[in-house]
Amino acid sequence: MKHYTEEDLILHFYNELGHRKDVDVHLDQCEHCAASYRDLARTLRLIETPEAPERGDQYGLEVWQRIRHRLPEQEVPWWSVWFRADRLAAAGAFAVLLLAAFVAGRWWSTATESTQTAAVTPVTSQAGAASPIDEDARHRILLTSVADHFDRSERVLTDIMNAPAGEDISPEQQWAEDLVVTSRLYRQDAADAGEHSVALVLDELERSLLEIVHSPSRATAANLEEIRRRIDAASLLFKVRVLGDELRQREHLDSPRRRTLSRQTS
Amino acid sequence: MDATDATGVLAKARQGDSEAFRLLVEQHSRRAFQLAYRMTGNQQDAEDVVQESFIRAYRQLSRFEARAHFATWLHRIVANCSVDLIRSRRSRQDHSSMDDIAPVEQPHSESPDPERLAESSRIERSVATAMAELTPLERAAFTLRHYEGRSIAEIGKTLGLGTSATKHSVFRAVRKLRTALEPLRGES
Repeated sequence: MKHYTEEDLILHFYNELGHRKDVDVHLDQCEHCAASYRDLARTLRLIETPEAPERGDQYGLEVWQRIRHRLPEQEVPWWSVWFRADRLAAAGAFAVLLLAAFVAGRWWSTATESTQTAAVTPVTSQAGAASPIDEDARHRILLTSVADHFDRSERVLTDIMNAPAGEDISPEQQWAEDLVVTSRLYRQDAADAGEHSVALVLDELERSLLEIVHSPSRATAANLEEIRRRIDAASLLFKVRVLGDELRQREHLDSPRRRTLSRQTS
Repeated sequence: MDATDATGVLAKARQGDSEAFRLLVEQHSRRAFQLAYRMTGNQQDAEDVVQESFIRAYRQLSRFEARAHFATWLHRIVANCSVDLIRSRRSRQDHSSMDDIAPVEQPHSESPDPERLAESSRIERSVATAMAELTPLERAAFTLRHYEGRSIAEIGKTLGLGTSATKHSVFRAVRKLRTALEPLRGES
């Protein structure tokens, strides 16, 4: 007879295992599993949901009074940059220029080769004018995504820094493995966007994440010490935290500067 | 506030209307405090988490999808703020002592039996101590599963973990709590 593991029984207690009837039938027939389940359930039933201290009707207002002067500027969604009045005007002007250039190109195609070249050149230069807008949106998405990535990575690193020796770190390893893949993509994007310091930290982060992934799931004190030494040596937690905050600030600071730039170039 | 009002208030808040956001704060603060208290086990920390969560929510309102429920979205923010706060406390080696953990006030029965109350109080302290020994993620996953009745899938989504990692966090928390509460099992 196949017995249920402790993990199965925990899931069963919380109605997460599925095929509940089968498990109940088994527990009726198997004294070994039934005893394990009774023991588990007895402990979990000791842990009653704590009642939070009562908060009065005015509590919401009190919270509001405490935070109202600390409210930051709202993040602007990346797509909304396309719907700003000045951007719409720029996009409209660009569309008109593009159409004009297209018509001019068609008209000039009957003329000489050299004339055709002259007609195409303005199209290229006008098309170039759209790139700052496009680039701005892309850049902002990159900053936001990398900042979020740093937040998630910080959690894994902190968990590893606090993990006791011999404990199962497989959840952190799975998480780190997911982050390694993302980290690589962001590192490439950051390098392409000229964000070299970000790319450098992502590179260091990737190495530490890989070390976590390739450690034994029940890491010894020596394994953990080695990982922590690398994290400490690179001041990785500090860098990830500071750079994450900096990127979030830049999300806001960059937009006015880039808007100005796009106006100048359009 | 009915559903139409709520949608309108949310739309205004997303446009930066602080008065609309005030209504959201007033409506959701008590529930946020309840969750934060269960997550942190401490009144002062819970207060900090509530404030930080609303500030974070305000900053990120543009990321909120109009189709989702604001309460569900805020729940996620509160849970993550709680995890962050517990983590930062630990990284400063500022472990909560038993005195820091507010003894949980259970409703008194009509005829309180002193012996029963003393036993109940002892169990509560043991649970609070055992919970304080869990890692932030284990504590969060266990609280959301055991106290809040959230499914593994919901917890994973809330904490940004995969299903397997979420399950393992719950398993580890239960294992540690079983070990810590072992002496009480025979008495219950």
